[in-house]
Amino acid sequence: MTSTVAPHVELVEMRGIVKRFGDFTALHGVDLVVAEHEIHALLGENGAGKSTLMNILYGLYRPDGGTIRLAGQDAAIHSPRDAIARGIGMIHQHFMLIPPLTVAENVVLGDERSGPVLSRHALAARVRELEERFHIGVDPDAKVEDLPLGLQQRVEILKVLYRGSELLIFDEPTAVLTPQEVDELFTIVRTLRDEGKVVIFITHKLREVFAVTDRITVLRAGRNAGELVTKATSPSEIARLMVGRELRQVQARTPVTASGAVLEIRGLEARSDRGATALQGIDLTVNAGEILGVAGVGGNGQSELAECVLGLREPTAGSIVIGGADIAHDDPKRTRERGVAYVPEDRRTEGLVLAFTVADNFILGKQDRPPFSTRGVLDDDAIRTNGDRLAKEFDVRPPNARAIVANLSGGNQQKVVLGRELSERPTLIVVSQPTRGLDIGSTEYVWERLLEQRARGCGVLLVSSELDEIRALSDRIAVMFEGRLVATLAAADATEERLGLLMAGHAEAALA
Amino acid sequence: MTLEMLIGASVFAATLRLAAPIALAALGGVTTERSGVTNIALEGSMLVGCFFGVVAADRAHNVWIGLAIAILAGVLLAGLHAYAAIALRADQIVSGMALNILALGLTTYLDYQMYGTTGTPADLPVLPDVQLGFLKGVPYVGDAIGSQNLMVWTMGVLVVLLQLSLFRTVAGLRLRAVGEHPRAAETVGIDVRRIRYAAVLASGALAALGGAYLSLGVAHSFTDGMTGGRGFIGLAAMIFGRWTPVGALAASLIFGYGNALSTSLQGASIGDVKVPVQLLGTLPYILTILAVAGFVGRSRPPAADGLPYETEGHA
Amino acid sequence: MTQQQQPATTGPGTTIPAPSVRQLTFQWAGGPAIPVLSVVIALLLGAVFVLLSGNDPVAAYAALVQGAFGTPYDLTETLVAAIPLVLTGLAVAIAFRTGLFNIGAQGQLLVGALAAGWAGAQFASWPGIVLMPTVIVFGVAGGAFYGGIVGFLKAVRGVNEVITTIMLNYTIVFVMHWLLQAGPMSAPNALGTPASTPIGAGARLPVIIPNELVLFSRLHAGIILAALAVVVFWFVLWRTPLGYRLRAVGLGAHAAAQAGIDPARHMVLVMAIAGGFAGLGGMIEVSGIFGRVYDGFSSSYGFDAIAVALLGKNSPLGIVFAALLFGAFVHGGAYMQSHAGISSNLVAIIQAFVLFVIAAEALVRSLTRRRGARKPVEAIA
Repeated sequence: MTSTVAPHVELVEMRGIVKRFGDFTALHGVDLVVAEHEIHALLGENGAGKSTLMNILYGLYRPDGGTIRLAGQDAAIHSPRDAIARGIGMIHQHFMLIPPLTVAENVVLGDERSGPVLSRHALAARVRELEERFHIGVDPDAKVEDLPLGLQQRVEILKVLYRGSELLIFDEPTAVLTPQEVDELFTIVRTLRDEGKVVIFITHKLREVFAVTDRITVLRAGRNAGELVTKATSPSEIARLMVGRELRQVQARTPVTASGAVLEIRGLEARSDRGATALQGIDLTVNAGEILGVAGVGGNGQSELAECVLGLREPTAGSIVIGGADIAHDDPKRTRERGVAYVPEDRRTEGLVLAFTVADNFILGKQDRPPFSTRGVLDDDAIRTNGDRLAKEFDVRPPNARAIVANLSGGNQQKVVLGRELSERPTLIVVSQPTRGLDIGSTEYVWERLLEQRARGCGVLLVSSELDEIRALSDRIAVMFEGRLVATLAAADATEERLGLLMAGHAEAALA
Repeated sequence: MTLEMLIGASVFAATLRLAAPIALAALGGVTTERSGVTNIALEGSMLVGCFFGVVAADRAHNVWIGLAIAILAGVLLAGLHAYAAIALRADQIVSGMALNILALGLTTYLDYQMYGTTGTPADLPVLPDVQLGFLKGVPYVGDAIGSQNLMVWTMGVLVVLLQLSLFRTVAGLRLRAVGEHPRAAETVGIDVRRIRYAAVLASGALAALGGAYLSLGVAHSFTDGMTGGRGFIGLAAMIFGRWTPVGALAASLIFGYGNALSTSLQGASIGDVKVPVQLLGTLPYILTILAVAGFVGRSRPPAADGLPYETEGHA
Repeated sequence: MTQQQQPATTGPGTTIPAPSVRQLTFQWAGGPAIPVLSVVIALLLGAVFVLLSGNDPVAAYAALVQGAFGTPYDLTETLVAAIPLVLTGLAVAIAFRTGLFNIGAQGQLLVGALAAGWAGAQFASWPGIVLMPTVIVFGVAGGAFYGGIVGFLKAVRGVNEVITTIMLNYTIVFVMHWLLQAGPMSAPNALGTPASTPIGAGARLPVIIPNELVLFSRLHAGIILAALAVVVFWFVLWRTPLGYRLRAVGLGAHAAAQAGIDPARHMVLVMAIAGGFAGLGGMIEVSGIFGRVYDGFSSSYGFDAIAVALLGKNSPLGIVFAALLFGAFVHGGAYMQSHAGISSNLVAIIQAFVLFVIAAEALVRSLTRRRGARKPVEAIA
């Protein structure tokens, strides 16, 4: 850790913050100190604890330990109302706007400062006043649902300013913005600081950090990893703090000569559920007998990529070729018939029917085929035998094919998914966040099975936010950032630092 | 079939008369659904308003007390639904249906217990018509609106009031916010639950007004199940009217007109073919289906409508 | 009036319409304890109500039981009342299993009745061997068509089935008025009420209990059809791949979708099947009881069906028992009114309480389950 420069006046001082969710500890005693007239970056990967910490500051969560002081005074913040009253405002990642209402209505909602009757004019005038002061342009009478996301964000900012916030917290603000909109945002943020406001930026993107911030706090796995002054540090240093950790033993892998492509994606483009661009011009290839790891902080298009390959999402452009045919517009049934297996991101809602038994889950998708059904009738014996066999083969504990899957532990649930997907000798496996929430034993089990498939000659598209998983399993590593594949490296070339930089959007430094 | 049968003054008058209860129920629907709660028990609130209005008017020999009690009954029934939907976060359709069945069973049961087979008294105090004497001689208009019931005029006033409130007052703004995005409303400090309770209770009052009009204003008596689905037509009018008071009124007028036609065209024929008046009854429902399916312009409910809301686990 | 579940998959480019019903709410595990408890609580509440309105609950319930089961004739009448409830209960239940709320069993039953009544009269001269199956097919097809419309609108236009089913229920009532009062199906009859041409003898379900055993018994062969329907329900859902797919969509639409099971297509299918069950119920009423279609012959089977399905936990045996219970209510209620002077509508009140208790109970369950659970992943970091 580099030495920190003592700040002038501490506006926000969070010390030793602890937060638990059930038996999971999200924050292990985190410190955050923010001074006046400062733009402060709160940096870290997924799961580092950034949003949790800020939700505590904003009164959405109660800390289980630690203290908060605002402008030198102890402060207990019980709700967003409290936080707002103390001058703290939050611009959420998922906008808290009411789409059919106008900009002005959204800004004043909850604090209308008017008699029972609202005057459209008066509202618009008030909003325009604010806009002029902070150089934020957006039509007060426009309906929020008609505005592009960049302008919607401005409404969020105006909301916060209207309530007299002195401290503004931005949660991953550029996630849905175009490059131009990002620059416009930076201008606004600088104006805010010049007008005397304090800004905290929650982000994982180095570009933002270096473009506008003054100081940085890096979090890693719920702990402080470093406090830095932006001018005095470098992308490499930050990347190392963000990402560095004790790696599990990297598995010794037998080099397998990859042969022939099983998946070829060209020019793939798609939109996210919110209508923003999720994928832009993706080109990638997965060969037989290789694992291509797609790394990146969650929310950069990885989920959409997996969904497009499977047929769960319609791409807006591009091709996905498997076995010589373009399956970009096929439904999941067709795609799977070509030998594609899928281990989805959320095993509980996408991978399994929790209320079904283990045996029933093993045949999900295969229920119409012999031996599981003949002449329109299910063959219970065949299903049960299959269930017993796979439960044993894939080490489901307890190996009871009649158990309801909802009662299994996460690791065993994932084994059921694997058993179903891997037992049919697929040509391509698309696997997304396979070890999320799993203990070490289950994690290693999953890794072994994936490596087994690779040795068998299967191609594996592995999407994961866990770097050590990517590095342990992949032959080649591609990094996604803001919907693009910013680089594809051979495993040997993918150092931690390089990957950290790429994941944070700093392609040039990484590939130098 | 003559022109008189289609657009005569009496048809116009009948349209208003028939549309009023539907519109009142529809206004109730707009209020509750705009706050995000689905209340299909409007039919039930209407029916209890219908019945208890008569009972109270009878016992107190005063129609205004009857009206007040009717509203109270409707509010109480809606209150049960509000509790189930908001506090218990129960399934709003099941709760609404249970209450409709309860209302029907209850009113029929009590009707039997209290009035046996003889029925409600013939000398019931009634809601007065508003006689517009100065229109007496005016052709068409005089017959059309010259002696509509007080309730019809009340309904008109309520439409205007609600339309203005919904879109031009702070309360209306907050109501709409709560129905579209309760989480966002909560983050700016709005009490989602309180607003929803108020909205559901208000819907019960409005529907009950419609019911009281039916028994105390039109039929001057109570018969079992006399609302006959008008609460549901009101919901259809709300949907067809795109969840606005004025739209609901327009839809109610269309539906009321169809209803009026089925009487005025009784026995009429076009050439040799008899007009199928019974099919006119399907009009509200078919139109609503077309509207919801997007064939007649976009009809979109408030985004959070029908979804139980969990308040954020606050600090 | 819209969806009851988080619409998690409604963005551009996604393909999964969200089911309307919070599945686990209506398919809770555990045996008959909860439904039985619900009925008991409802009966207690009903007793309180009877007391409050100045009557004797014991006498009321005694009359109810007496009326439902007192004599062999009463038994058969209870069964007669239960039969259409079984079928409409199945219609609601199978839709629930796929995550859909089928309030339209009433309308689907009527369409089935009309179709069967028409065919039975149109082909009246045909012998029973041919006519009976024909009439059954028409009944089932009519209901299936009407249910299918709902499924289609949901799958293709995303229309909430709660709205469409309620609207269609009312629509068919008026169409029926027209058909039977002034339209092509109207025919004169002794009672002077609007009704259709009587169906041929070959389409009539025979009374299966001879008069010597039980005087005036109306218990007809429809009970066999109903029993068969229950078996079909069970078989389809648990012994066929189609049933597997329907249940998968109901319990895990996302997982089903990614596995290649198309939720939209299955919603159409299940609504058609559900309509078919209800349509069969309509046909049975016409063939077994009335011999023709009377205008307004059935008024409340639809809502009763929902209570039957929920109480029966959407399972074959449960539905049968629940249908019997409600059949007992219907028939016993009439006796209670004539002999104990208590309006038969007490039954409706009890039924409302049952629904209410079920709705509240489901919530209690989901609350206790959630208490121990972890915060969702998205809250972290």
